[in-house]
Amino acid sequence: MKKRKLEKWLLLEQSGELSTRQLRQLGRELAASEDTRILRQELGRLKGSILLPEIEPSPWTVTKIATRLHEERRSAPTVTRVLKPALALAACLMVVAGILNFHGKQVSSAPVAVATVARVDVWNDPLEEDLGRLERQIAAISGDSLDIMEM
Amino acid sequence: MKTTDIERTRMDQDDAKLLAEYHAGSAEALGVLVEKYKRPLFGFILRFSEGREDADEVFQEVWVRAIKNMNRYRQENLLSWLFRIAHNLMIDRVRRRKFVVSLDTPAGEDGVPLSERLAGAGLGPDDETGGRELGLRIEAAAAQLPLEQREVFWLRMQADLSFKEIAKIQKCSINTALARMQYAVSKLRKELAGEYRELREAGI
Repeated sequence: MKKRKLEKWLLLEQSGELSTRQLRQLGRELAASEDTRILRQELGRLKGSILLPEIEPSPWTVTKIATRLHEERRSAPTVTRVLKPALALAACLMVVAGILNFHGKQVSSAPVAVATVARVDVWNDPLEEDLGRLERQIAAISGDSLDIMEM
Repeated sequence: MKTTDIERTRMDQDDAKLLAEYHAGSAEALGVLVEKYKRPLFGFILRFSEGREDADEVFQEVWVRAIKNMNRYRQENLLSWLFRIAHNLMIDRVRRRKFVVSLDTPAGEDGVPLSERLAGAGLGPDDETGGRELGLRIEAAAAQLPLEQREVFWLRMQADLSFKEIAKIQKCSINTALARMQYAVSKLRKELAGEYRELREAGI
Protein backbone atom coordinates (compact mmCIF):
# COMPACT_ATOMS: atom_id res chain seq x y z
CA MET A 1 0.00 0.00 0.00
CA LYS A 2 1.29 3.48 -0.84
CA LYS A 3 2.36 5.69 2.04
CA ARG A 4 -0.24 8.36 1.29
CA LYS A 5 -3.09 5.87 1.22
CA LEU A 6 -1.73 4.24 4.33
CA GLU A 7 -1.67 7.54 6.15
CA LYS A 8 -5.24 8.19 5.05
CA TRP A 9 -6.28 4.83 6.44
CA LEU A 10 -4.45 5.49 9.69
CA LEU A 11 -6.26 8.80 10.04
CA LEU A 12 -9.57 7.08 9.36
CA GLU A 13 -8.69 4.37 11.85
CA GLN A 14 -8.01 7.05 14.46
CA SER A 15 -11.40 8.63 13.83
CA GLY A 16 -13.16 5.25 13.87
CA GLU A 17 -14.23 5.46 10.26
CA LEU A 18 -12.56 2.37 8.79
CA SER A 19 -14.70 -0.58 7.83
CA THR A 20 -13.98 -4.01 9.35
CA ARG A 21 -12.46 -5.20 6.10
CA GLN A 22 -10.19 -2.14 5.91
CA LEU A 23 -9.24 -2.59 9.55
CA ARG A 24 -8.16 -6.18 8.84
CA GLN A 25 -6.11 -5.03 5.86
CA LEU A 26 -4.50 -2.28 7.91
CA GLY A 27 -3.74 -4.78 10.65
CA ARG A 28 -1.82 -6.86 8.13
CA GLU A 29 0.10 -3.76 6.98
CA LEU A 30 0.96 -2.88 10.56
CA ALA A 31 2.19 -6.37 11.29
CA ALA A 32 4.37 -6.37 8.21
CA SER A 33 5.90 -2.89 8.26
CA GLU A 34 7.72 -1.04 11.01
CA ASP A 35 7.38 2.25 9.14
CA THR A 36 3.61 1.88 9.27
CA ARG A 37 3.76 1.27 12.99
CA ILE A 38 5.91 4.40 13.45
CA LEU A 39 3.55 6.43 11.32
CA ARG A 40 0.62 5.25 13.41
CA GLN A 41 2.48 6.06 16.60
CA GLU A 42 3.33 9.54 15.34
CA LEU A 43 -0.31 10.28 14.62
CA GLY A 44 -1.30 8.93 18.02
CA ARG A 45 1.30 11.05 19.76
CA LEU A 46 0.31 14.12 17.76
CA LYS A 47 -3.29 13.74 18.88
CA GLY A 48 -2.30 12.93 22.45
CA SER A 49 -0.16 16.06 22.70
CA ILE A 50 -2.89 18.48 21.73
CA LEU A 51 -3.51 21.04 24.44
CA LEU A 52 -6.99 22.08 25.35
CA PRO A 53 -7.45 25.72 26.23
CA GLU A 54 -7.87 26.22 29.97
CA ILE A 55 -9.94 29.27 29.30
CA GLU A 56 -13.63 28.63 29.52
CA PRO A 57 -16.52 30.79 28.46
CA SER A 58 -17.50 33.49 30.92
CA PRO A 59 -19.54 32.19 33.87
CA TRP A 60 -22.42 34.37 32.71
CA THR A 61 -22.56 32.82 29.28
CA VAL A 62 -25.59 30.62 29.91
CA THR A 63 -27.47 33.53 31.48
CA LYS A 64 -26.60 35.76 28.53
CA ILE A 65 -27.66 33.13 26.00
CA ALA A 66 -30.92 32.53 27.87
CA THR A 67 -31.59 36.28 28.08
CA ARG A 68 -30.94 36.79 24.38
CA LEU A 69 -33.16 33.87 23.46
CA HIS A 70 -35.87 35.11 25.80
CA GLU A 71 -35.70 38.61 24.32
CA GLU A 72 -35.80 37.30 20.77
CA ARG A 73 -38.70 35.01 21.60
CA ARG A 74 -40.54 37.89 23.23
CA SER A 75 -39.88 40.31 20.40
CA ALA A 76 -40.87 37.80 17.72
CA PRO A 77 -44.51 37.44 18.90
CA THR A 78 -44.72 41.23 19.36
CA VAL A 79 -43.81 41.68 15.73
CA THR A 80 -46.32 39.04 14.76
CA ARG A 81 -48.96 40.51 17.07
CA VAL A 82 -48.54 43.97 15.56
CA LEU A 83 -47.92 42.96 11.99
CA LYS A 84 -50.72 40.46 11.59
CA PRO A 85 -53.61 42.88 12.33
CA ALA A 86 -51.84 45.64 10.42
CA LEU A 87 -51.49 43.42 7.37
CA ALA A 88 -55.10 42.26 7.71
CA LEU A 89 -56.26 45.89 7.95
CA ALA A 90 -54.15 46.86 4.96
CA ALA A 91 -55.60 43.98 2.97
CA CYS A 92 -59.17 45.02 3.92
CA LEU A 93 -58.46 48.63 2.95
CA MET A 94 -57.07 47.51 -0.38
CA VAL A 95 -60.19 45.45 -1.08
CA VAL A 96 -62.46 48.36 -0.10
CA ALA A 97 -60.41 50.78 -2.18
CA GLY A 98 -60.57 48.38 -5.11
CA ILE A 99 -64.36 48.10 -4.85
CA LEU A 100 -64.77 51.87 -4.53
CA ASN A 101 -62.45 52.47 -7.43
CA PHE A 102 -64.41 50.01 -9.57
CA HIS A 103 -67.72 51.73 -8.78
CA GLY A 104 -66.06 55.12 -9.03
CA LYS A 105 -64.96 54.44 -12.58
CA GLN A 106 -68.49 53.55 -13.61
CA VAL A 107 -70.08 56.62 -11.97
CA SER A 108 -67.40 59.10 -12.85
CA SER A 109 -67.60 58.75 -16.64
CA ALA A 110 -70.20 61.60 -16.95
CA PRO A 111 -68.36 64.21 -14.88
CA VAL A 112 -65.23 63.47 -16.86
CA ALA A 113 -67.11 64.30 -20.05
CA VAL A 114 -68.50 67.47 -18.46
CA ALA A 115 -65.06 68.43 -17.38
CA THR A 116 -63.81 67.90 -20.90
CA VAL A 117 -66.57 70.10 -22.32
CA ALA A 118 -65.92 72.71 -19.69
CA ARG A 119 -62.27 72.65 -20.58
CA VAL A 120 -63.19 73.12 -24.25
CA ASP A 121 -65.52 76.02 -23.33
CA VAL A 122 -62.86 77.63 -21.30
CA TRP A 123 -60.48 77.25 -24.20
CA ASN A 124 -63.08 78.70 -26.63
CA ASP A 125 -64.03 81.76 -24.58
CA PRO A 126 -60.90 83.84 -25.22
CA LEU A 127 -61.05 82.92 -28.90
CA GLU A 128 -64.57 84.24 -29.17
CA GLU A 129 -63.54 87.40 -27.37
CA ASP A 130 -60.59 87.79 -29.72
CA LEU A 131 -62.78 87.25 -32.73
CA GLY A 132 -65.27 89.85 -31.46
CA ARG A 133 -62.46 92.32 -30.81
CA LEU A 134 -61.07 91.72 -34.28
CA GLU A 135 -64.49 92.22 -35.79
CA ARG A 136 -64.96 95.53 -34.03
CA GLN A 137 -61.53 96.74 -35.10
CA ILE A 138 -62.16 95.85 -38.74
CA ALA A 139 -65.50 97.59 -38.58
CA ALA A 140 -63.88 100.67 -37.06
CA ILE A 141 -61.19 100.71 -39.75
CA SER A 142 -63.53 100.15 -42.68
CA GLY A 143 -66.38 102.21 -41.26
CA ASP A 144 -68.81 99.70 -42.69
CA SER A 145 -70.72 97.15 -40.83
CA LEU A 146 -69.36 93.80 -41.62
CA ASP A 147 -71.11 90.58 -41.28
CA ILE A 148 -68.70 88.28 -39.68
CA MET A 149 -70.32 85.30 -41.25
CA GLU A 150 -69.28 86.56 -44.69
CA MET A 151 -65.63 86.67 -43.84
CA MET B 1 -22.62 0.24 13.91
CA LYS B 2 -19.36 1.41 15.45
CA THR B 3 -19.00 2.30 19.13
CA THR B 4 -18.65 6.00 18.37
CA ASP B 5 -21.87 5.92 16.36
CA ILE B 6 -23.69 4.21 19.21
CA GLU B 7 -22.37 6.79 21.68
CA ARG B 8 -23.31 9.65 19.39
CA THR B 9 -26.81 8.34 18.79
CA ARG B 10 -27.30 8.03 22.51
CA MET B 11 -25.91 11.51 22.98
CA ASP B 12 -28.27 12.82 20.35
CA GLN B 13 -31.22 11.39 22.22
CA ASP B 14 -30.03 13.06 25.41
CA ASP B 15 -29.54 16.33 23.57
CA ALA B 16 -32.95 16.15 21.96
CA LYS B 17 -34.47 15.51 25.38
CA LEU B 18 -32.60 18.46 26.90
CA LEU B 19 -33.65 20.70 24.03
CA ALA B 20 -37.25 19.64 24.46
CA GLU B 21 -36.99 20.39 28.18
CA TYR B 22 -35.53 23.81 27.41
CA HIS B 23 -38.39 24.59 25.03
CA ALA B 24 -40.81 23.47 27.70
CA GLY B 25 -39.38 26.21 29.92
CA SER B 26 -36.48 24.57 31.74
CA ALA B 27 -33.58 27.03 31.79
CA GLU B 28 -31.46 24.39 33.51
CA ALA B 29 -31.59 22.16 30.42
CA LEU B 30 -29.85 24.88 28.40
CA GLY B 31 -27.17 25.14 31.10
CA VAL B 32 -26.56 21.39 30.93
CA LEU B 33 -26.22 21.49 27.15
CA VAL B 34 -23.85 24.46 27.15
CA GLU B 35 -21.78 22.89 29.89
CA LYS B 36 -21.62 19.60 28.00
CA TYR B 37 -20.11 21.04 24.85
CA LYS B 38 -18.40 24.19 26.07
CA ARG B 39 -14.85 22.86 26.16
CA PRO B 40 -14.38 21.61 22.60
CA LEU B 41 -16.57 24.31 21.12
CA PHE B 42 -15.08 27.21 23.03
CA GLY B 43 -11.57 25.86 22.45
CA PHE B 44 -12.19 25.80 18.73
CA ILE B 45 -13.73 29.27 18.68
CA LEU B 46 -10.90 30.65 20.77
CA ARG B 47 -8.35 29.54 18.17
CA PHE B 48 -10.08 31.51 15.45
CA SER B 49 -11.07 34.60 17.40
CA GLU B 50 -9.38 37.68 18.78
CA GLY B 51 -9.29 36.63 22.38
CA ARG B 52 -11.57 35.66 25.20
CA GLU B 53 -14.17 38.40 24.90
CA ASP B 54 -14.48 37.91 21.17
CA ALA B 55 -14.67 34.14 21.63
CA ASP B 56 -17.33 34.63 24.31
CA GLU B 57 -19.47 36.64 21.91
CA VAL B 58 -19.11 34.08 19.14
CA PHE B 59 -19.83 31.24 21.55
CA GLN B 60 -23.06 32.91 22.64
CA GLU B 61 -24.01 33.66 19.06
CA VAL B 62 -23.48 30.02 18.11
CA TRP B 63 -25.86 28.86 20.83
CA VAL B 64 -28.46 31.51 20.07
CA ARG B 65 -28.44 30.56 16.38
CA ALA B 66 -28.50 26.87 17.23
CA ILE B 67 -31.53 27.19 19.51
CA LYS B 68 -33.33 29.59 17.18
CA ASN B 69 -32.91 27.24 14.23
CA MET B 70 -33.65 24.12 16.19
CA ASN B 71 -36.19 23.04 13.59
CA ARG B 72 -33.25 22.28 11.31
CA TYR B 73 -31.48 20.12 13.89
CA ARG B 74 -33.06 16.81 12.77
CA GLN B 75 -31.45 14.65 15.48
CA GLU B 76 -27.93 14.78 14.04
CA ASN B 77 -24.91 15.12 16.27
CA LEU B 78 -25.47 18.39 18.11
CA LEU B 79 -21.78 19.10 18.59
CA SER B 80 -21.17 18.70 14.88
CA TRP B 81 -24.06 21.04 14.20
CA LEU B 82 -22.73 23.60 16.68
CA PHE B 83 -19.35 23.40 14.97
CA ARG B 84 -21.01 23.99 11.63
CA ILE B 85 -22.60 27.19 12.94
CA ALA B 86 -19.31 28.20 14.55
CA HIS B 87 -17.49 27.46 11.30
CA ASN B 88 -19.79 29.73 9.32
CA LEU B 89 -19.44 32.52 11.86
CA MET B 90 -15.71 32.19 12.32
CA ILE B 91 -14.83 31.79 8.67
CA ASP B 92 -16.73 34.96 7.88
CA ARG B 93 -14.90 36.82 10.60
CA VAL B 94 -11.48 35.40 9.80
CA ARG B 95 -11.87 36.18 6.10
CA ARG B 96 -13.10 39.67 6.91
CA ARG B 97 -10.31 40.48 9.26
CA LYS B 98 -7.57 38.25 7.86
CA PHE B 99 -6.78 37.63 11.47
CA VAL B 100 -4.52 34.80 12.58
CA VAL B 101 -4.39 33.84 16.23
CA SER B 102 -0.86 33.76 17.51
CA LEU B 103 0.25 32.13 20.70
CA ASP B 104 1.57 35.51 21.75
CA THR B 105 -1.84 37.07 21.31
CA PRO B 106 -3.13 38.18 24.70
CA ALA B 107 -6.02 35.86 25.38
CA GLY B 108 -7.81 37.99 27.88
CA GLU B 109 -8.09 41.32 29.55
CA ASP B 110 -5.20 40.38 31.84
CA GLY B 111 -2.93 40.11 28.78
CA VAL B 112 -1.82 36.55 29.49
CA PRO B 113 -0.83 34.95 26.19
CA LEU B 114 -2.82 31.99 24.94
CA SER B 115 0.24 29.75 25.20
CA GLU B 116 0.28 30.19 28.96
CA ARG B 117 -3.35 29.25 29.31
CA LEU B 118 -3.20 25.90 27.62
CA ALA B 119 -3.44 22.67 29.56
CA GLY B 120 -2.32 19.20 28.57
CA ALA B 121 -4.99 16.79 27.37
CA GLY B 122 -4.84 13.05 27.76
CA LEU B 123 -1.30 12.94 29.09
CA GLY B 124 -0.07 11.11 32.14
CA PRO B 125 1.89 12.94 34.88
CA ASP B 126 5.22 11.67 33.50
CA ASP B 127 4.49 12.98 30.07
CA GLU B 128 3.04 16.25 31.25
CA THR B 129 6.11 18.46 30.94
CA GLY B 130 7.33 17.00 27.67
CA GLY B 131 3.77 16.71 26.40
CA ARG B 132 3.04 20.33 27.21
CA GLU B 133 6.16 21.47 25.41
CA LEU B 134 5.29 19.39 22.39
CA GLY B 135 1.73 20.63 22.61
CA LEU B 136 2.90 24.23 22.52
CA ARG B 137 5.12 23.52 19.52
CA ILE B 138 2.19 21.88 17.77
CA GLU B 139 0.09 24.95 18.55
CA ALA B 140 2.69 27.26 17.07
CA ALA B 141 3.17 25.13 13.98
CA ALA B 142 -0.56 24.66 13.43
CA ALA B 143 -1.08 28.43 13.60
CA GLN B 144 0.95 28.70 10.38
CA LEU B 145 -1.32 26.35 8.45
CA PRO B 146 -3.74 27.66 5.83
CA LEU B 147 -7.22 28.25 7.19
CA GLU B 148 -8.96 25.13 5.85
CA GLN B 149 -6.14 22.82 6.90
CA ARG B 150 -5.95 24.45 10.31
CA GLU B 151 -9.65 24.03 10.78
CA VAL B 152 -9.63 20.35 9.80
CA PHE B 153 -6.67 19.79 12.07
CA TRP B 154 -8.38 21.29 15.14
CA LEU B 155 -11.77 19.80 14.42
CA ARG B 156 -10.22 16.38 14.19
CA MET B 157 -7.49 16.60 16.83
CA GLN B 158 -9.19 18.70 19.46
CA ALA B 159 -12.92 18.40 18.89
CA ASP B 160 -12.57 14.74 17.90
CA LEU B 161 -15.01 15.02 15.02
CA SER B 162 -14.99 12.35 12.35
CA PHE B 163 -13.91 13.19 8.81
CA LYS B 164 -17.48 12.70 7.72
CA GLU B 165 -18.61 15.39 10.14
CA ILE B 166 -15.71 17.67 9.20
CA ALA B 167 -16.56 17.29 5.52
CA LYS B 168 -20.14 18.30 6.30
CA ILE B 169 -18.94 21.35 8.22
CA GLN B 170 -16.53 22.43 5.50
CA LYS B 171 -19.03 21.55 2.76
CA CYS B 172 -16.52 19.34 0.96
CA SER B 173 -15.98 15.64 0.31
CA ILE B 174 -14.48 13.30 2.91
CA ASN B 175 -11.51 12.87 0.60
CA THR B 176 -10.92 16.63 0.54
CA ALA B 177 -11.12 16.80 4.32
CA LEU B 178 -8.70 13.90 4.55
CA ALA B 179 -6.33 15.49 2.06
CA ARG B 180 -6.37 18.73 4.05
CA MET B 181 -5.55 16.79 7.18
CA GLN B 182 -2.72 15.00 5.41
CA TYR B 183 -1.25 18.28 4.23
CA ALA B 184 -1.52 19.66 7.74
CA VAL B 185 0.15 16.59 9.27
CA SER B 186 2.85 16.66 6.62
CA LYS B 187 3.62 20.33 7.32
CA LEU B 188 3.65 19.72 11.05
CA ARG B 189 6.02 16.83 10.49
CA LYS B 190 8.45 19.22 8.80
CA GLU B 191 8.01 21.87 11.50
CA LEU B 192 8.38 19.34 14.28
CA ALA B 193 11.17 17.34 12.66
CA GLY B 194 13.13 17.26 15.93
CA GLU B 195 10.26 15.77 17.91
CA TYR B 196 9.57 13.21 15.22
CA ARG B 197 13.24 12.18 15.24
CA GLU B 198 13.08 11.73 19.02
CA LEU B 199 10.04 9.58 18.57
CA ARG B 200 11.84 7.33 16.13
CA GLU B 201 14.98 7.19 18.26
CA ALA B 202 12.85 6.19 21.23
CA GLY B 203 12.53 2.89 19.38
CA ILE B 204 8.84 2.95 18.70
